[in-house]
Amino acid sequence: MTLPPILRAAMGPLRLMVQDRLAVIGMCVLGVIIAMALFAPLLSPHDPRHINEIEDGSVLARNAAGWELRESLGPLALNDATHRDGQSIIVGRSGTVWTRAGTGDWARIDVATEADLNGVDLNASGRAIVVGAQGTILLGNDLDWQLIPAPEAVLRDAVWLDNDRALIVGANEEIWLLDATAGTFAEIDSPVGRGFPLNSVALDADGTALIVGERGLAIRYDLEAGTATLERIGSSRDLNHIHIAPDGAALVVGERGTLVRRDGADGAWVTDPAPDTRALRAGWIGDNGRAVAAGRNGIIMEWDGAAWQIVQTESERHLRALLVVGDDWLALGSDRFVTRLSPPSRDHWFGTDHLGRDLFSQNVHGSQIALLVGFLGATLVVLIGTNVGLIAGYYRGRTETILMRTVDVMYGIPFEPFALILVLLFQPSLTIVILAVSLLTWRTVARLIRSQVLSLRERPFVKAARVAGASDLRIMYLHIFPNVLPLVFLELAIIVGVSIIAEATLSFLGLGPPQSISWGGILHDARLSGAWRTAWWWNLPPGILIMTTVLSVFFISRSLEVVANPRLRARQ
Amino acid sequence: MTRRTYLIKRVLQAVFSLWIIATILFFLFRMGLPDPTAALITEGLNAEQRAAVRAQFGLEDPLWRQYLLFLTNAVQGEFGTSFSYRAPVSEIVWERLGNTMILMLAAIVLAYAIGVPLGAWLSWRRGSRTDTMGIFVGLMFRSAPMFWTGMIAILIFGVGLSIFPTSGMRTLPYDATGFWDKIFTLDFLWHAILPVLIVALYYLGSPMLIMRNTMLEVYGEDFIEMARAKGLQERDILYKHAARNALLPVVTQLAVTIGLAAGGQVVVEVVFSWPGLGREILNAVRTSDFPLAQASFLIMAAFVISLNLLVDILYTTLDPRVSFR
Repeated sequence: MTLPPILRAAMGPLRLMVQDRLAVIGMCVLGVIIAMALFAPLLSPHDPRHINEIEDGSVLARNAAGWELRESLGPLALNDATHRDGQSIIVGRSGTVWTRAGTGDWARIDVATEADLNGVDLNASGRAIVVGAQGTILLGNDLDWQLIPAPEAVLRDAVWLDNDRALIVGANEEIWLLDATAGTFAEIDSPVGRGFPLNSVALDADGTALIVGERGLAIRYDLEAGTATLERIGSSRDLNHIHIAPDGAALVVGERGTLVRRDGADGAWVTDPAPDTRALRAGWIGDNGRAVAAGRNGIIMEWDGAAWQIVQTESERHLRALLVVGDDWLALGSDRFVTRLSPPSRDHWFGTDHLGRDLFSQNVHGSQIALLVGFLGATLVVLIGTNVGLIAGYYRGRTETILMRTVDVMYGIPFEPFALILVLLFQPSLTIVILAVSLLTWRTVARLIRSQVLSLRERPFVKAARVAGASDLRIMYLHIFPNVLPLVFLELAIIVGVSIIAEATLSFLGLGPPQSISWGGILHDARLSGAWRTAWWWNLPPGILIMTTVLSVFFISRSLEVVANPRLRARQ
Repeated sequence: MTRRTYLIKRVLQAVFSLWIIATILFFLFRMGLPDPTAALITEGLNAEQRAAVRAQFGLEDPLWRQYLLFLTNAVQGEFGTSFSYRAPVSEIVWERLGNTMILMLAAIVLAYAIGVPLGAWLSWRRGSRTDTMGIFVGLMFRSAPMFWTGMIAILIFGVGLSIFPTSGMRTLPYDATGFWDKIFTLDFLWHAILPVLIVALYYLGSPMLIMRNTMLEVYGEDFIEMARAKGLQERDILYKHAARNALLPVVTQLAVTIGLAAGGQVVVEVVFSWPGLGREILNAVRTSDFPLAQASFLIMAAFVISLNLLVDILYTTLDPRVSFR
């Protein structure tokens, strides 16, 4: 087989490298990481900057220690729940209905609708009314469900007034009286009539129904008189939910931590100071003075008899309903919530960070900056270093003195602090980071190449070239340079590793290129958020990736060392 | 060239280097921060106080006068007042430099004390699985970024097992009258173990690998054959004959490492909240405390240069073969 001379010359060192098992491993690993950087968008299942949210049928249960997450009821959000005579029912998005008897297991009920269900109530004979979007009204008990035809409307809540008649409220100020036996509606005129959304309705102790809605709207409907009248409860915030205990204690909750309480049927409405100003979506009050409210971002407050206390905020789930059966207290949710700090799962292989961003995708994208700075920085370093070394070693004399003094001066500059000052004085950017990485590192290369050139320039082949009339440039770059090439490649490999660590260091200190994703930057975020002490899935992968990349480069450089220094070959 | 002229030349070189670095530093700061007192607005200083600070650094003068003022101040060790500490810069910097040096020197000594015998031993077992493992582990710690190994060490030993403290040099509050008073306590040792270990593990690889490689070269020499022929034990040949002759390149590397020690390891200081000079530079530049950043860097460079000089001089004394070039 005949090969061109250049290729044949390259074969020798290559064969030497292939003989070294560690070098082969290094090349394979580096190949994988380079592929990772090139195909990052294809490989990452999520956009690394996207804030991920999921929906979940979350259930939190109260125990002695506080509120604890239980096994989810399916992947769909739960919107409302009610309980009567040992029977409990939960409704949620996309036609979700769950029931249970006593405190047994929840069972999913099939209903003939895909609409989002918003409100539920049970009457004394165990019949349920469920209302939802698209004018959905369902009546039924365990297995027998019947869809009542109704006009298009977003219905929010319903309550039984007696065994036969129910009051339904909707988002466009609808107030409908349903006759369950006949299946007919009567539309009740609202005293406001301006299309305010009505959010919740409850049966008061005197048999009338109390409706709450946006902008502090409260309407009392009297079945006997057939009239709806405005009621003042002293709040102008959007009210989300009302709950009234059998003896008349009542709780209304709303946006921005609104809590309005009434101690008994004849009591006055009192607005309580709330310990948190996030939206509250559900409230429950008992006649024995116990009360609880739940809302967005997993917030749960309990009434301790004198004030509201926050008892739970660590969950990110949005709670929408409370179900209290004796000592079994459940908080239900959750519409789309940000999956913060979730441990590795099938959807997020390396978990998520404090903003709910996918860490696997971030780690994959991080390889781009690492390799870019690594190779670009190293090329720059070797380019400067080799030329300075060549010129200094070849020309000697004053040129050498000036260049080598410069190198000496550079050895007096501590690397990391210099890079810090450079980046901070000139605003972090990719260019400045590469400059900071490479501006000092070439000092070693220059020294090494120079000492090699010093011995090479005295060799006969250089003298022969000079006698033949070759120019200085020709001798330097065509005769001497190929002989230092193995050393150049060795230095290139080592400095790629050094540059990758240097970039990671700068990014870790928060001085990396802004708006970029890098391994050091991921660790910077982890440290800054304070969650790194618990979220191991956040800390481990970037460090392991940096280590693997640099290690593979070092392995390759070790085999290049054998190529560059033939004395090492003999003793293998 | 006699030894004396060599020394004089070397000292002059060092001074020259320092002057160049000071000049670069001065112009770098003037380019990056045209009005360093702008940061003082947020500190709540009024225009009058700002003008006083500007006068102190001669910021109203032409550039060359500013430069001269900077140089004279630097020579006199007068670096002004820190914006954020409201205290003389030199006091802060010297204390921080001591903290950095104690961490770095302890780590370097540890790394070489373990790395050199380990490298000799690996060369003896060359080609074995132990040898490969040793190289692998040494290179692994060399490749892992120290801020990451530090974080993992804190997680395991500080947070998980809670054996070691996770930050600082001493448990707060403490009273110490001087630098050495602060250092010579068990409490300090307790705080220093993790950071020293992390830096030492990073440095371990180079003395180990250099020692191993030079040992392999020394094994080929005639006097080793001679020792074997005399019937000496392999262990004696290794440590008494080969190792001594292989030490030179390791000492060279040690010299370079100590020379750069004052530069510290900023990330280790940051991760372990070690009040060193590197961390101070980072904080100073973040808070735009330019007198502190400038002085810290200059003193750090001065220390690096003096250490280099010292090590060079010692080296010529240790190894007579090195000619005074």
